[in-house]
Amino acid sequence: MNLNNQKIIINIEDSEYLNWKIYLKSKFKMLNSCNIEIDSKNLKLSCTDISEIIEIANQYNCKIIGFSSTSEKTIVSIHSLGYKSHFSIESSSKNTSQIDDNNQIFSKTNFHQGTVRSGEYLDSPGDLLILGDVNPGAKVSAEGNIMIWGRLLGIAHAGSKGNYQATISALQLRPVQLRIAKKVARGPEEKPQLGMAEQARIDSEEIVISPLETTYFEKSN
Amino acid sequence: MATDTRVILICSGKGGVGKTTLTANLGISLARQGLTTAVLDADFGLRNLDLLLGLENRIVYTAQEVLEEECRLDQALVKHKQESNLSLLPAGNPRMLDWLKPDDMKRIVEMLKEQFNYVLIDCPAGVEDGFKNAMAASQEAIVVTNPEVSAVRDADRVIGLLNTNSIKPVQLVLNRVRPKMMANQEMLSIDDVTDILALPLLGLVLEDEQVIVSTNRGEPLTLNSLNSPAAKCYLNIAKRLQGEDIPLIDPAEESSGLGAKFRRLMQTKIF
Ligand SMILES: Nc1ncnc2c1ncn2[C@@H]1O[C@H](COP(=O)(O)OP(=O)(O)OP(=O)(O)O)[C@@H](O)[C@H]1O
Ligand SMILES: [Mg+2]
Repeated sequence: MNLNNQKIIINIEDSEYLNWKIYLKSKFKMLNSCNIEIDSKNLKLSCTDISEIIEIANQYNCKIIGFSSTSEKTIVSIHSLGYKSHFSIESSSKNTSQIDDNNQIFSKTNFHQGTVRSGEYLDSPGDLLILGDVNPGAKVSAEGNIMIWGRLLGIAHAGSKGNYQATISALQLRPVQLRIAKKVARGPEEKPQLGMAEQARIDSEEIVISPLETTYFEKSN
Repeated sequence: MATDTRVILICSGKGGVGKTTLTANLGISLARQGLTTAVLDADFGLRNLDLLLGLENRIVYTAQEVLEEECRLDQALVKHKQESNLSLLPAGNPRMLDWLKPDDMKRIVEMLKEQFNYVLIDCPAGVEDGFKNAMAASQEAIVVTNPEVSAVRDADRVIGLLNTNSIKPVQLVLNRVRPKMMANQEMLSIDDVTDILALPLLGLVLEDEQVIVSTNRGEPLTLNSLNSPAAKCYLNIAKRLQGEDIPLIDPAEESSGLGAKFRRLMQTKIF
């Protein structure tokens, strides 16, 4: 493979949304053997979509070295495929405004990539998506939901401005303390089962923890 | 003139976990391997690296006079009596803290880099100015911690700060390990610690009474007591730092029978 050193950024434009696969194919064909960065804007891509993109790129000897997205689903997909170490992933803008289809509430999603360590504090005016662990001594809070693609070992506060519908989900939920709106709960004493994502929400005035519904990350489709 | 000098910050967050002891022993061990090494006492408030190395009575000038250009660097450097590859740059008086800036630390380290293969910086406890100044002058770091919840918590805080300041690589030394307590699960396990801190483990150091004896004598263990348990640990850490592949294994995997277990731990190269 003879890759050009030059890198090319492809923006998936609004107008191309519906046919983004055909669009990318034609671009890759044109760019044959290039290093490519893709900005998929707020396009929601599944794991299959991402694998397909990489396959198409390979066909034309292109190498994807970076991926930007404002969609939490896309970012989660890339991470769950384990491509984190292969190319840089960026949320194209840290504060993305979007309309939440379900609630018609104006919300903002913040991404944080990496471990949140002791003494660090993250706050989001909307939802908060963390790709990494939240360690003991760290605190994360959001006006909306908190989703942690990692372990929650510190303190999390969802619905910090009083939203009782807010939820906290994590691959491993072992917090020191959980808060949703004005409710406070101490973390569970027993260690949770490994390999089972969990979610905390308010159910009849109490914070309860239950296995995370698998449809959760699909919700926005 | 040495090229590719490695400037390593030895820090912890929590106080009293063994930074100064590690700095002194690592300094001796590296010097013994033929590497010219400078140890810089950045703990201006509570300096004691000179004591541990038994060099207190030889100090004439300090980093302070070097910065104020009242003396040359080589006048302030105190060469070790036995290990001539090792030199100490002593800390000035505590009032230096009032005016010392990150750029001053950088200036000192730049000067040291011209002469030494290794510059080890003994960092003060805490995450305030003393730590920040020392960090500004460093390239890589060793975080020292103990198998205790509070020490691990503080180490985590420090690692966060090192990461945001692009200090790389950051490696971990777990000090004051007691295999018996670990085996009985009375102490955080190695896994518990590395699981949270997510750092490569450069080495473990056993709890060893002789550390205290050696401190009082001003003779680091690695100087004359090479057979003591902790000395072996320090020597292994120095070798790993040099890229030698000395495997780490998990004490928890050692089979039962505490006496035998302990002996076996001592024979293996884990520590
Ligand atoms: N492996 C060990 N076994 C037994 N005692 C130890 C060990 N390591 C350190 N100590 C003891 O712990 C005490 C603190 O060590 P040291 O001064 O190296 O810590 P420090 O991190 O530099 O402290 P400070 O934050 O005050 O600078 C000393 O009395 C030392 O002798
Ligand atoms: Mg000290």
